[in-house]
Amino acid sequence: MLDSYFLQQLINGLTIGSAYALIAIGYTMVYGIIGMINFAHGEIYMIGAYTSLIVISGLAALGIAWLPVVLIVALLGAVIVSSSMGWAVERVAYRPVRGRHRLIPLISAIGMSIFLQNYVHLAQGSRNMGFPTLMEGGFTFGDAGSFQTSLSYIQITIFVITLICMAALSVFIARSKTGRACRAVSQDLGMSSLLGINTNRIIATTFVIGAALAAVAGLLLGMYYGSIDPLFGFIAGLKAFTAAVLGGIGSIPGAMLGGLILGVSESMTSGYLSGEYKDVVSFGLLILILLFKPTGLLGKPEVEKI
Amino acid sequence: MKTSVAKLATAVTASAALLGAGHASGEIKIGIAGPQTGPVAQYGEMQFSGARMAIEEINRQGGVMGEELTAVEYDDVCDPKQAVTVANRLVNEGVRFVVGHLCSSSTQPASDIYHDEGVLMITPASTSPGITERGYDLVFRTIGLDSMQGPVAANYLIDQDPERVAVVHDKQQYGEGIATEVRDTLVDAGVEVPIFDGITAGNKDFSSLVTKLKQADVDYVYYGGYHPELGLILRQAERAGLDATFMGPEGVGNKDINSIAGDAAEGLLVTLPPAFEEKPENQDLVEAFEEKGEDPSGPFVLTSYTAVQLIANGIEQAESTDPIEVAGALREGKFETPIGTVEYDEKGDLESFEFIVYEWHSDGTKTPVD
Repeated sequence: MLDSYFLQQLINGLTIGSAYALIAIGYTMVYGIIGMINFAHGEIYMIGAYTSLIVISGLAALGIAWLPVVLIVALLGAVIVSSSMGWAVERVAYRPVRGRHRLIPLISAIGMSIFLQNYVHLAQGSRNMGFPTLMEGGFTFGDAGSFQTSLSYIQITIFVITLICMAALSVFIARSKTGRACRAVSQDLGMSSLLGINTNRIIATTFVIGAALAAVAGLLLGMYYGSIDPLFGFIAGLKAFTAAVLGGIGSIPGAMLGGLILGVSESMTSGYLSGEYKDVVSFGLLILILLFKPTGLLGKPEVEKI
Repeated sequence: MKTSVAKLATAVTASAALLGAGHASGEIKIGIAGPQTGPVAQYGEMQFSGARMAIEEINRQGGVMGEELTAVEYDDVCDPKQAVTVANRLVNEGVRFVVGHLCSSSTQPASDIYHDEGVLMITPASTSPGITERGYDLVFRTIGLDSMQGPVAANYLIDQDPERVAVVHDKQQYGEGIATEVRDTLVDAGVEVPIFDGITAGNKDFSSLVTKLKQADVDYVYYGGYHPELGLILRQAERAGLDATFMGPEGVGNKDINSIAGDAAEGLLVTLPPAFEEKPENQDLVEAFEEKGEDPSGPFVLTSYTAVQLIANGIEQAESTDPIEVAGALREGKFETPIGTVEYDEKGDLESFEFIVYEWHSDGTKTPVD
């Protein structure tokens, strides 16, 4: 009985953790390349969730309800809107202040985050908006009568889509020309510029990729939770940022690992201790990692850049 | 020069008003302070329409001790800072009786000013126990306290003879307060409470909590808090196949819960103040509201009406418009009002205020459970 309970909490934790990982990649990639924390990233994720809700409602109004179509169209809509938003944020708020003191882009990012939050507040209202139930049911294991472990279709969808995204990103970074340029820019921005890499374009690409993954997480978590509001990007952003630091900021596998560890530790804490200590444990974990391994689990020692 | 003339004029008017209030000047000012704009303006509308109606009715019947009541209205936007400004303005205008404020967080700071300036205040909506806990003689309310709701819910649950009840709250003053009352009442009655746990308001993932509830095999789950979190818990519980009935305080009894929880909101139990507008003795009043094209069914319409009526009754019984004497009369008397018989305890809280258990439906309607 304990085992099936443990298994259930593990599934819950991995589900939420893989979504954290998707958001964390946006933080880690941007940090890896230009050494700044993009605090508006949580808002990009929130906008992704709102866009997908709007698309789903629009499709429902048109009478289109076939799940694969709804999912793919919502995913595309969210990715397109969020990516353009990520690109625009970089263009408007970060590029003009790039190369200045490190604090300036940071403040600019916080300003952007507040702006986007309030923009959605005004445009969509401050009330919680419910997501329609798109997927019901799932598999259950264990004997009837005692505690049964269940794995819902939506959890499976989250795992599968996250895995596909991660695999695609890894291949892209390792094999493609742009990916190679990304790695080069993250090693030395000035040198890659001298070697003929259009660094502005690469940096913009990084923002676009991060935003696209955040939008995917926005759709998945919106469906999983059941409702969204304009402020929910902030907490998710904070958690994903923690995941990125935990795994070693700047490292893509680190962000994935950090997200999963964070998700599982949260779910185990609320499962075996109390929901009240969920955030205490996840942020306590962060402090411990920073104390004993400041570069994070998979991070490399920082080389002074800029 | 111009400003000083204006200031002088204000000063003269203000002192005239102050003098006038003490003597028979032909009118008694009733301040109405609450949100007319901002996020909870719809609740303020209920308060203003109830109070205005009471003032009209009382004046139609010849006023109070031969004097007319006049309303002095101010908007506090449910903002503690603006509530203080409004309170000061009312005091400056010589108002000595106030119906307000609406939000507990506004009522609390405003009541400090009313207390210092000798103004009698009756809030028709603020339920935080802290407001009447500071020993202020001039602060009253026509609504129940957060601490009255918990036992009502717990006693209902006890009557259902459950084996195990889980109690969950959002760690905030309102939610945790009620949840603690519920748990204590349940435990005293010998009901097993295997889970008493807090969540963080604003969180969206409750799958671990739901798993825990499922494993504890509870019959009922009591949730102290507001609708955004409970809506998600309901929905995630339904998905996980948790077979338990949920219950919550009036903070969850809001149509917004249906847009979050969808069909999972069906069967939710909620404790709410009774629908005063459905009482047979209030039907004349309900007609009067409907003639004006106003809706008497909001939770604060008739409590505001009652607040004005109590001020009038208090003045008549004290045969004085001195707030201290009126407060004394309110504490001693027993008054028949649209919300039932009103009696006050030493603190200025109602001796009793009924809460009723309703069953919530997925279309946003509710039916009383017996």
